[in-house]
Amino acid sequence: MLKYSIKRLLQSLFTLFIIVTIVFLLMRLLPEEGYFGASYEKLDEQQREAILTSMGLRDPIHKQLVNFYKNILTGNLGQSITFRPKVPVIDIIKDKVPYSLYFGLAAIGMSLSVGVTLGIAMAKNKNKFWDRFGTGYVVFIRAVPAAVYFLFLQLYITGIFKLPMLFDIDKPKTWILPVISMSLGGIASYAMWMRRYMVDELNKDYVKLARAKGLKSKSIMVKHIFRNAFVPMAQYLPASILFTIAGSIYIESLYSIPGMGGLLVEVIKRQDNTLVQALVLIYSSIGIVGLFLGDLLMAIFDPRINLDKKGGAR
Amino acid sequence: MKRLMALMLAIMMVLAGCSKGKTDKTLGNEGELVEYSEVYSGEITTLNYLVTANYNEFALAANMVDSLIDYDKYGVLIPGLATEWESSEDGLVWTLKIREGVKWLTYDGKEYAETKAKDFVDAAKYLLDPNNESLTANIFYSVIKNAEEYYNGEIDDFEQVGVKAVDDYTLEYTLKQNTPYFLSMLNYVCFLPVNGDFLEEVGDRFGTDNTNVLYNGAYIMETFEPQTRRILTKNEQYWDKDNIFIDKIKETYNQEAATLAPELFLRGEIDYAEIPASLIEEWMKDSTKKDLVRPIRTTFYTYFYALNFDPKFDAEYEPDNWKIAVNNVNFRKSLFHGLDRKAAMTTAEPYDPEQRLANTITPKSFVDIDGVDYTELGGLKEFANTDSFNEELAKEYRDKAMAELEGKAKFPVIVYMPYNSGGTELANRVQVIEQQLENLLGKDYIDIQIDPKPPTNFLSEVRRSGKYAFLESNWGPDYADPETYTDPFTPGSNYNFPEFVEGYTDANGDKTYTNLTNKAKAEILDIDKRYELFAEAEAFLIKEAFVIPYALGGGGYAAGRLDPFESQYSPFGVSSQRYKGQHLMEKPMNTEEYKAALETWKKERAEALKKQ
Repeated sequence: MLKYSIKRLLQSLFTLFIIVTIVFLLMRLLPEEGYFGASYEKLDEQQREAILTSMGLRDPIHKQLVNFYKNILTGNLGQSITFRPKVPVIDIIKDKVPYSLYFGLAAIGMSLSVGVTLGIAMAKNKNKFWDRFGTGYVVFIRAVPAAVYFLFLQLYITGIFKLPMLFDIDKPKTWILPVISMSLGGIASYAMWMRRYMVDELNKDYVKLARAKGLKSKSIMVKHIFRNAFVPMAQYLPASILFTIAGSIYIESLYSIPGMGGLLVEVIKRQDNTLVQALVLIYSSIGIVGLFLGDLLMAIFDPRINLDKKGGAR
Repeated sequence: MKRLMALMLAIMMVLAGCSKGKTDKTLGNEGELVEYSEVYSGEITTLNYLVTANYNEFALAANMVDSLIDYDKYGVLIPGLATEWESSEDGLVWTLKIREGVKWLTYDGKEYAETKAKDFVDAAKYLLDPNNESLTANIFYSVIKNAEEYYNGEIDDFEQVGVKAVDDYTLEYTLKQNTPYFLSMLNYVCFLPVNGDFLEEVGDRFGTDNTNVLYNGAYIMETFEPQTRRILTKNEQYWDKDNIFIDKIKETYNQEAATLAPELFLRGEIDYAEIPASLIEEWMKDSTKKDLVRPIRTTFYTYFYALNFDPKFDAEYEPDNWKIAVNNVNFRKSLFHGLDRKAAMTTAEPYDPEQRLANTITPKSFVDIDGVDYTELGGLKEFANTDSFNEELAKEYRDKAMAELEGKAKFPVIVYMPYNSGGTELANRVQVIEQQLENLLGKDYIDIQIDPKPPTNFLSEVRRSGKYAFLESNWGPDYADPETYTDPFTPGSNYNFPEFVEGYTDANGDKTYTNLTNKAKAEILDIDKRYELFAEAEAFLIKEAFVIPYALGGGGYAAGRLDPFESQYSPFGVSSQRYKGQHLMEKPMNTEEYKAALETWKKERAEALKKQ
């Protein structure tokens, strides 16, 4: 396990290095007009040059890159340049993370509990009402663009229940709809996969054997089938929990939730190199850590998996 | 299925139980509305008003910090932080008396210092330090003596820069040269004051958030949460607080603001919403909604169709042929009179397209001489009140052009018309124009080729590099003088490069338009004459069909509780963005009320201008 972890850690660091370097270089390929936004028109060439020089964009590229790595290693993610000039990147991010985290966790909790329950109900009642209902729901969520029903929920449900349309930190009831909206997609996928794995397991020989042995249906379900069916889903759980801090772009912007949603998109548009780099660094680290934890979790759930044995990881 | 229904019903009841009715509006002591809220999608990046050149950021600065001069609701110049002023005989030295007792407050309402003349000097010092990267420094140093030299490091003694605090309440500006519109510039952000001690205290953090600025204006920013909300509250110690009628302004960020605002307005959650063109028909058909919506006032942004005299576009669109055609005045006039601007405008304003059309480059009501509008002066008058669209004339000029260009240009002339594909309105408009012009003038005469271009870098890729034949362009004023509207067309500018036109060269070797504008710019003592000369120059530009004036900025429709005619009126600077002086109406204005109010306002304005 330890050997495997170290190997993975080194691999991860290398991956991170590659991603961050590529993003760093790509940012430098963008047209320089982006750094000025609407003010471009008002500046003359000399002023633009002065500003670009002060941003460090006139240094040779390798020098910029080395500076960038030096700063990362000392824990300095730099100051925003166009999004909120001169404000430390960390200050911008740290105010937003909690909101995304709370909403994300609530949504994951809701998708997991409702989705898994629905999946089990579907598998148990194959081709009966719950199965048909669940399938219909899954098809709907997968086929209709999320923006459509998100907007519908916000415009009409709030109207019916006289709820405010915008999030207000002081009003708990404004939390309800965003969380519901955020979990709709998750419910569909958890239900779909749960149903599929459960149905697979139900037809396996060990279930037939257990039944033949006279074990109660409930205990087979909980002790064997559910556990086995949940293993493949467990792998992605840590990553999805960690990724909640990235926020949900559409929901957050729809309800004016001050989270991280869309921040990356926004700062790319504004060409705020420091922020883009910092966010990419954070998101990539989350992804890498999440996958690693997923592997560990799977090993815990499924004792057959031995991470140190060659070729046994997957 | 029954179980499901029961479950749904139960959820609905729980949710319904959680909520009350509509949120009550906050009322003042006498029962009037005192809290204003709106949603916005364009987030600001800084509160540092000495650095920014962004319109949204001006709006906040305007309400937080006062300027030396101000404008009333008719556009008459009134005292602000300066109570009185005078200029020397030669117009070079301006002495302003600073209002006494105006306090600088911190974000939590604590008194920091008094606003004094030195604050304007400190602001200039900050502005002229290139390290601070002010985007408006150039406007400041374009008029103030030695400011540009100091900015460029040619002199390092700030004493030589033309700004001085004679004593605590006397400020003196020395200008490079007599600038007739100098006073109007004092309303711009680069002339706002800053407290030097505070600036030193917060250093680099100045303006990064609401705690790192000082307030001496009508409002204090109590909350600043970027991408979330900002709350402005009335400054209880403001020198003119009797004229602030809104106690609190709450702005909530929402990326989908444009989509959600109309619905939020209907539900009473916000007090202002612009109604997009896609929704306006539905609102106009609904009797209750129709009563809530009114036109938005136009701005001083001016839109025009530019004919390019230095075409650099791809060979497939035949730039050389275009060059021959565009140098023929009759060809230009055939387009000038052939363009049905009203038809074009219906793509943006289907109900009342004429209210947004402009027949001149300088908009009406921009400046005036004793109540006579600039556009009514000299040769400009002829164009100001006539629609350029005239089918007969267009065909007449077409025939003349075809005869004159025979053997020289190839017909049909390809009119290469790229456009910014970022918005649907413009995409519709260019198609309307293509069809309309081709049908009127004939496809054997012109072949308009429209070309959608990505919004990113549109201006540098298309207009500035001359890669167009015919293009919708715009320009906004930088100060209250007609000179500002000549900028796009002077040599070295990058709009339509009229310096490359064939002919029109005067004896001194310069182009006629250049000479006309130079003559006007040189007239700095007699303002009447100056305006007449600029009007002549502009009339020349239009008469020779170098450009086709098209429309004004702004416009569209909105539902809102603010009375648009109570806001301060100024063509330039930050006054018009102030909430000071505005009340919240119980019921929004509808279109009829708006039109009536506009007429009344126009009359009152004419009176006010005569009296000033």
